[in-house]
Amino acid sequence: MERTHQEEAVVKLTSVTFQYEDKVVLDDVTFTLERGDFVGIVGPNGSGKSTLMKLILGLLPATKGKVELFGQPLSRFRDWTKIGYVAQQAAHGAGGFPATVREVVSSGLVGKVGLFRRLKPHHHEKVRDVVDRVGLTEKLDQRIGSLSGGQLQRVFIARALVAEPELLILDEPTVGVDQESIDQFYELLRSLKEENGMTMMIVSHDVGVMTQWVNKVACLQRRLHFHGTADEFAHNHERILQQMYGDTVKLLAHHH
Amino acid sequence: MLADWWQYDFLRYTLLSGVLIGLICPILGTFLIVRRLSMMADGLSHVTLSGVAAGMLLSKKVALFQAVNPLFFGMLFSVAGSLFIERLRKVYKSYQDLAIPIIISGGLGLFTVLISIAKGFNADLYSYLFGKIVAVTKDDLYALIGVAAVVLVTVFLMYKELFAVSFDEEFARVSGVARRSINLWFMVLVALTIAASMRIVGVLLISALITIPVAASLQIAGSFRQTILYAIVFAETSVLGGLYFAYLLDWASGGTIVLMAVLILFAVLGVKRLRAALR
Repeated sequence: MERTHQEEAVVKLTSVTFQYEDKVVLDDVTFTLERGDFVGIVGPNGSGKSTLMKLILGLLPATKGKVELFGQPLSRFRDWTKIGYVAQQAAHGAGGFPATVREVVSSGLVGKVGLFRRLKPHHHEKVRDVVDRVGLTEKLDQRIGSLSGGQLQRVFIARALVAEPELLILDEPTVGVDQESIDQFYELLRSLKEENGMTMMIVSHDVGVMTQWVNKVACLQRRLHFHGTADEFAHNHERILQQMYGDTVKLLAHHH
Repeated sequence: MLADWWQYDFLRYTLLSGVLIGLICPILGTFLIVRRLSMMADGLSHVTLSGVAAGMLLSKKVALFQAVNPLFFGMLFSVAGSLFIERLRKVYKSYQDLAIPIIISGGLGLFTVLISIAKGFNADLYSYLFGKIVAVTKDDLYALIGVAAVVLVTVFLMYKELFAVSFDEEFARVSGVARRSINLWFMVLVALTIAASMRIVGVLLISALITIPVAASLQIAGSFRQTILYAIVFAETSVLGGLYFAYLLDWASGGTIVLMAVLILFAVLGVKRLRAALR
């Protein structure tokens, strides 16, 4: 397929392998994320989902293969403000940190504003807008320690959004978040995609819920077992999941 | 008696350096504590100590170094120590706090050996250990002014980077922040601050001034900025109050300052508890 420069893939992995000591975590993964995609990455624990994200973010080096972001090889990529990242909440452990919602969200502008520069009025306005968008305006100047798990998660999303990224990467964003907040959370992602045309990639073990919202699914278990539209996945999920998780595990996908 | 402070040069130097220390120690301390590196200051102070001992030994034995302030060697060792800690933290990724005891014991070991080589030092060493009001010289003050200026300019210009790296190192890295250089520069500043502050508080007590005012501040601050501001207020109160009582009662300045800081911490905890009980 021929592409013009403008339609370059947002993320392109070509035969990527990642090895940690003797263990092959990712084996020959080829994967493309197009502009406007909302991709869900599915796989059991230890299937290499988080590793895949870390490779894309440059947090880990690929053992073999090629990673490209916005048409540039990772080693030359410098436009990190184009990418927003929301890590696994468990990894933050940030509750005790003496910072307010405003301070945490403002820190999302650190790359965009640049070294030695201070935030300007329009940056502060942007912070207020984003906090409003995730529905935390009345918490703006409260310490993050006073927030619930779901609210804290929205703070981290706001921090990722404040620099107006073109690609949003979310790693297990709904762990430790109550059901109501999860629905709100996916509504928010959907509106970001529809109104802002944002490209999104989300890793979740909660296959059933996530696959209802995304438009593409990639199934990962060391190798890429499936990569297609959410519809295709819905029609074949039994076979795909069985192949990945093995026969002993009953299906996690449930349809409402 | 207050007039003494303006009449005598050495007291003016002490007062000025005290104010500067009360400003920069809690600022750096806030960043250290939220990153769970509060023991770092302790580690570096021991290395600084061995540096001062090395400086004193050299000035005693080698004519060339006679005029060199031992503080200079303290700074040199302290900066080298901070770089070594960063290195150790990388080697022991999953046991990062291991770097501190290694550096403390290493620093203390070197210190005692240097003392034994010199067959003991004069009473001046005592002022490095525990701080002494009359020990602050013009050179010490100038060194501290230089260090304080660099610390303040850095924190002013790199506040958002320091915050981002302290709050979430991985996110900062993904945002394109030069995390390694910032960490390294920050550690160098901590090292220099410790070396420059030791004449007043004493090297063994300096980490108290870096951590205790922040510990009190964390209890009541509503934001990160407030944490820094309250910590400065508590530290300045400790330094000025401590110096005053030390002079009045002829106590060791370092110890008095630290006791003052501990007193403030207890007061803050007490008031907080009282408020909770009354609610």
